[in-house]
This record gives sequence, C-alpha cells and structure tokens, in this order.
Amino acid sequence: MKIDHSQPLEYSTHKNEMNILGFWIFLGAEIMLFATLFTSYFIYENRFGNGPSGAEIFEITPVLIETVVLLTSSFTIGLAINAMRLNRPKAMLWFLGITLLLGATFLSVEIYEFVHYYHVGATLQTSAFTGILLTTLGTHGAHVTFGLFWGIAIFLQVKKHGLNPETANKSFNYSLYWHFLDVMWIFIFSFIYLKGMM
Amino acid sequence: MKELFPIKQVNGFIFSLLLTVVALSVYFMDMSFTAGMTILLVTAFVQAIVQFVLFMHAGESDDKRTIYTTLYYSALIALVTIFGSLLAMVWDM
Repeated sequence: MKIDHSQPLEYSTHKNEMNILGFWIFLGAEIMLFATLFTSYFIYENRFGNGPSGAEIFEITPVLIETVVLLTSSFTIGLAINAMRLNRPKAMLWFLGITLLLGATFLSVEIYEFVHYYHVGATLQTSAFTGILLTTLGTHGAHVTFGLFWGIAIFLQVKKHGLNPETANKSFNYSLYWHFLDVMWIFIFSFIYLKGMM
Repeated sequence: MKELFPIKQVNGFIFSLLLTVVALSVYFMDMSFTAGMTILLVTAFVQAIVQFVLFMHAGESDDKRTIYTTLYYSALIALVTIFGSLLAMVWDM
C-alpha cells in the first residue's frame, strides 16, 4: 500500500481515494431515492380524505428541536474531521461522541413525533397523505438509525486502532453520510413541515 | 483549542442557523404562498450548498470534477423527477 504523505490521511492511498469517490456516487443515488419520495409526497400532499391534513398534525416545537439538533450534529462531525486532519484522535472522538448523542436526541424526538401522529389518528393506512408522509420521514429516520450504529462502530475502531489511512478513510465517508442526512432533513423541514404549516 | 474550531466551519454553522431562522419566517409571518415558497426554495438550496462545499469538502480533492459531475447529475435527475411529475399530475399541464 503506497502512502502519499502530501494528502490528508483519508486520501493517502489510491484505494482510499476510490472509496471516497465511490461514496459520493452512492450519495448521488441517495439523492435520487429521496427525490422519488418527495415526488410522491408532493403528489399525495392534499389527498388526505377523511384523515387529518398536514396543517392539523404538524407541531412546530419538535420539528424545530430536530432541525437545530441535526444542524449542530452536522457541525460537530465537521469538527471531528477537522480534528482528525490535525491528528488529534482524542478531540476527534469527543466530537464524534457529541455527534452520536445529538443523533440519538434527534431520533428520540422523531419517535415522540411518530407516537403523536399515531395518537391523532395519522397512521400508514389512514390516507395517501399520511402514508407517504410516514414513508418519507421513516426513510430518513431509518438512515439516521443506521448512521448511529455505523458511528458507534467508527468510534470503537478509532479508539482501538487510532488514526491510520484505513480508519481515517472510514471516518471521512461517515462524515459525508452524516452531512448528507442533514441536507435531506433541511429539505424535509422546508418542503414538508414549513410548507404544510404555512 | 482554537485550531479545533476553524473559523470557516464556525461561520458556516452560524450561517446555517441564520438560514433556518429566515425559513421559519414563513411560519411566523403572514405571507402569500408564492412568497413563502420562494423563501423556502432559496434557503433550502443555499443551505444544501453550504453543507456540500463547506462541510463535505466537495471541492478539495483531485477528483473534484468527478464529484461535482455526480452531484450535478443526481440533482438534475432529482429535479426532473420532481418537477416532471408535478407538471403531469398536479399542475395539469
């Protein structure tokens, strides 16, 4: 394995470079996945039949908490990568740990939100609108859940092996994934919640 | 300690919070649907660009042209899928 020291650790081998490029291509596919969900959402948005409409069930407080928490976690994972490039694994693990805690907070609030929807009678089967709403939010939530487990795995690996081309590369791809989830949430926040409550 | 909080990223974070506040104005203020949607479209896409360029280091490596091509291509497919379907099924054109 040839290591190029002029590059940051996560880019230092040819394989690492390819991994990062491959991950970007995966994120491109993820953008299209969410695009199809948004398409269906916009089509079914007003078809709520006898069920509740978005304006009736959306609550601004949990949504706002989720948004601020996820934005902050996107910032802290950015700081983790910055610490990684400074070769400060301890600081990096702190930032990664904070990111994971914020991710868990986000998920708890989202679960609270889903319970709320269930109680006001908005389930997957209620109407076309609630069906696609929960599918879209659920897909994002499932990504965050997966990201939490992946993040824990990264945390343990960096703690055990320290920073080397391999762990740095994995951490970098993980940070891309986490930022990407934040971007998708911004679109959900804007075009599902705020549009629905406008 | 200072090098752990690079000014570029701190500014980006503050800017993204500001964008959220601007987007929130459509909820707290009375405005037309068109005005509200315009604000949301601008804030959401600016927010996305801040994340991709600033936090995801999209333009920093040697393969940045490939990365940007992938991003533009998938964004194009996404927009065509969304607006094409809206044209055909919601706006009745």
